[in-house]
Amino acid sequence: MSEPEEPALSISESASLERGYRRLLAWYPGWFRRDNEDEILAVLMACAQDGQARPSREATLDLIKGAVRMRLRPRPGQPRAVRAAVRLMYVGALAELGALFTIIMTAAGVRAAVARSAPASVDIMGLHILANEVLAPIAIVVWLVLARMITLRRDAARISVAAFFGLITLTMLASLSASGPAYAMADFTAGMVLWLISTVSMVLVFTPASNRYFRPEPELVGPAG
Amino acid sequence: MQEATFLILTALASGTQHGYGIISDVADISGGRVTLLAGTLYTALERLRADGLIGVDREEIVDNRLRRYYRLTPDGEKRLAAEASRLHSHATAALRRLNLNLAGGAA
Repeated sequence: MSEPEEPALSISESASLERGYRRLLAWYPGWFRRDNEDEILAVLMACAQDGQARPSREATLDLIKGAVRMRLRPRPGQPRAVRAAVRLMYVGALAELGALFTIIMTAAGVRAAVARSAPASVDIMGLHILANEVLAPIAIVVWLVLARMITLRRDAARISVAAFFGLITLTMLASLSASGPAYAMADFTAGMVLWLISTVSMVLVFTPASNRYFRPEPELVGPAG
Repeated sequence: MQEATFLILTALASGTQHGYGIISDVADISGGRVTLLAGTLYTALERLRADGLIGVDREEIVDNRLRRYYRLTPDGEKRLAAEASRLHSHATAALRRLNLNLAGGAA
């Protein structure tokens, strides 16, 4: 087995090279870094050329490529359903952003329509629109926090997903009954998309494989089958 | 199986190796043609570990740096043997046909 020959590096060269490598390794996912960072760094430093103070362009590209690959891979032990749920939560945040945009764009039209057909409810409609504009950014944050909770395998993750699903369902029903026919079609579509996303992601985090992920069974001591 | 993966498994076939050892061994096996870079090596090692083809044999601290030794698992041995014989039979077929054609052309 070959032993690495220590490359001839001054202390400042070595420190600067190591900083450069650490900056690149920061692009890798946390679980991978916790397990591998020190070791990769040791290999990178052993492969250094004499007097090298910065990562080569080749090594830089290779490390970035590796980081992208590792980010696309599921975390070890994370079932496919859970992975899909996390991705859907990101889609949810994006859809919410789209919904917010839609609400802002259609607000004037909806207000005018309400003013024509039911002048008495203009104030209520304005309040409804304002509420949506305030709630949508909060919802974006909630989607992202839920995704993070699932990734970190938090116990409360699934209850929170279920509660959020309930909230979205109630909001949908409430807006439908409150605004009736004046409810803008685009607004309704956005709400429907979000409701579907939350439904599917809730189903995904409650599959049997996900149950094992969130509640790992205690390992049984005894003869293996 | 990608060439880098095949060469990494081959490097581990004769015994445990650490990361740097695999890089220099792969260079030896390939006659200096393949130089593994650290990013490629560790994404491959991670995949092979997840697939159960290799495992961590032991860890040592040398000069304040972590050194982890990898070994081939029984599954890894089976996969490498299967891949090697597949490549071998393809290579043999290719050489045999080239020889036949050369002989046919000379006659």
